[in-house]
Amino acid sequence: MDATAAALIGMGLAALGFAGSGVGLGVLFGKAIEAIARQPAAEAQLAKYIWIGMAFVEAVALYGLVVAFIIMGKA
Amino acid sequence: MTATAPVVAAAAPKMDPLHHFHVTKYLDFDYLGIDVAISNSVLWMWIAAGLVLLFFHLAFKNPRIVPGRLQSLGEAGYLFIRGIVDDIVGEKGRPFFPYIFTLFFFILFCNLAGLIPGSFTVTSQLIVTATFSLMIVGFSFVYGFYMHGTHYFKFFVPSGVPVLLMPLMIPIEIISFLARPVSLAVRLFANMTAGHTMLAVMFLYVVTLPWWGAWLPFGFTVIFTGVEIFIGFIQAYIFTILTCVYINDSIHMH
Amino acid sequence: MIASAYAATAEHAAAGSGMPQFEPSVFQHQIVWSIASFFVLLYLLKKYVLPPIEKILDERGGKIRSDLEAAEKSRQEADKIRQDVQRQLAAARRLADQTVEEARLEAAKYRDLARESLTQELAKKKSVALAEIDAAKRAAVAELHDAVVDIAMLATEKLIAKSMNKNDVNKVVQEAVAAIQANPGKLQ
Repeated sequence: MDATAAALIGMGLAALGFAGSGVGLGVLFGKAIEAIARQPAAEAQLAKYIWIGMAFVEAVALYGLVVAFIIMGKA
Repeated sequence: MTATAPVVAAAAPKMDPLHHFHVTKYLDFDYLGIDVAISNSVLWMWIAAGLVLLFFHLAFKNPRIVPGRLQSLGEAGYLFIRGIVDDIVGEKGRPFFPYIFTLFFFILFCNLAGLIPGSFTVTSQLIVTATFSLMIVGFSFVYGFYMHGTHYFKFFVPSGVPVLLMPLMIPIEIISFLARPVSLAVRLFANMTAGHTMLAVMFLYVVTLPWWGAWLPFGFTVIFTGVEIFIGFIQAYIFTILTCVYINDSIHMH
Repeated sequence: MIASAYAATAEHAAAGSGMPQFEPSVFQHQIVWSIASFFVLLYLLKKYVLPPIEKILDERGGKIRSDLEAAEKSRQEADKIRQDVQRQLAAARRLADQTVEEARLEAAKYRDLARESLTQELAKKKSVALAEIDAAKRAAVAELHDAVVDIAMLATEKLIAKSMNKNDVNKVVQEAVAAIQANPGKLQ
């Protein structure tokens, strides 16, 4: 296989990491909504942790993006 | 691939969504063998720092007991950081407050200044975020030693774990400690890079699509710029919180 | 961004297709300048920005604290005044109650006194009346006795003056009785 083609495939595969982030966001917001539904008074306090958690989960996807970019540099 | 693909690619304007991350040196300086060139990255660092100073200068030009709008905003920023430091580190974190305050507003204004069209996003440079994160983690490590002496090595020994598992747990703890600066740096860098790359790709669609199709990616860029402002805030906040957590770890162990 | 995306195709070709962030030639000056910028900004913020913020926040905190203290003080004052008023009110009420009670007691005393004096007077009057009745009775008895003596004397006079037959005596007694009946005062 051509090295460039392999690199392109690798970049595409790196994007698979986004799936994990998607699962994470789903769990995060699902649980958050559940928690707020149970305890609406705690919403303001929970919101803080939701946004922090979102940033962490999102970062995981972006690590995959960085890997893709690194592969792009090697190609 | 068919033979026509390269022809089409060559005919289309050559585009590079990563172009705006290029560091261009305007003036090349060398001081004792150290490269101190002035580049667009450095320039925007200064602009961001200047904006921080300008903001606080305007907010507290003539401070009043009953604050105006800008003063309220400045005070909210001050109290926000003070709240983070007090919540996470506590009383012993007071000496570090100016550092954390500076760090937050520097990163925040770098993030936000990067959204100005034609500007340069300093925090999208891995080396800049890595410098900050290494400074923070290195400082927390040194300060931990300063506070606890060799006792600080206990930091890497998790409590309540059977001795048999220690050969497994201690390397894990050390690796997780070493991963701190990496994750801290890469998180900020990757968020900024990804957001701006996404915006660049969308703008490429805007200019390559005909007018009846261009409004869709254009509308997306408008919305996504708002999201980017939000992300700029969140990432500066996360960076600050993790800094506080690391400093707290070095003060109080765990 | 649009312009920059279009621009510099040639430059791009020269730089390679990797991420510009991983270009080692631009690392050193960014490290130096980010550290330098950070500490200069730290110095400037620490010197010119943080003190006024802290000053104004302290001032406001002091003002709020002093306001709160003043409010607390006036509240306590009001409390004291309220307690004073309540105390005075209670005292006045107590005084009024006491006066009423005293008046009641006095009235009772007067009533008892009046009743007692009335009883005494009645008793005195009764005894006086009884004494009068007694005296009258005794006088009547004495009068009767006198009258009988008088009648006996008159009769005796008549008997002595002329010898009389039974009819005459009878006639004389009747005359005497009639005389006495006609004029009782004469007996005295």
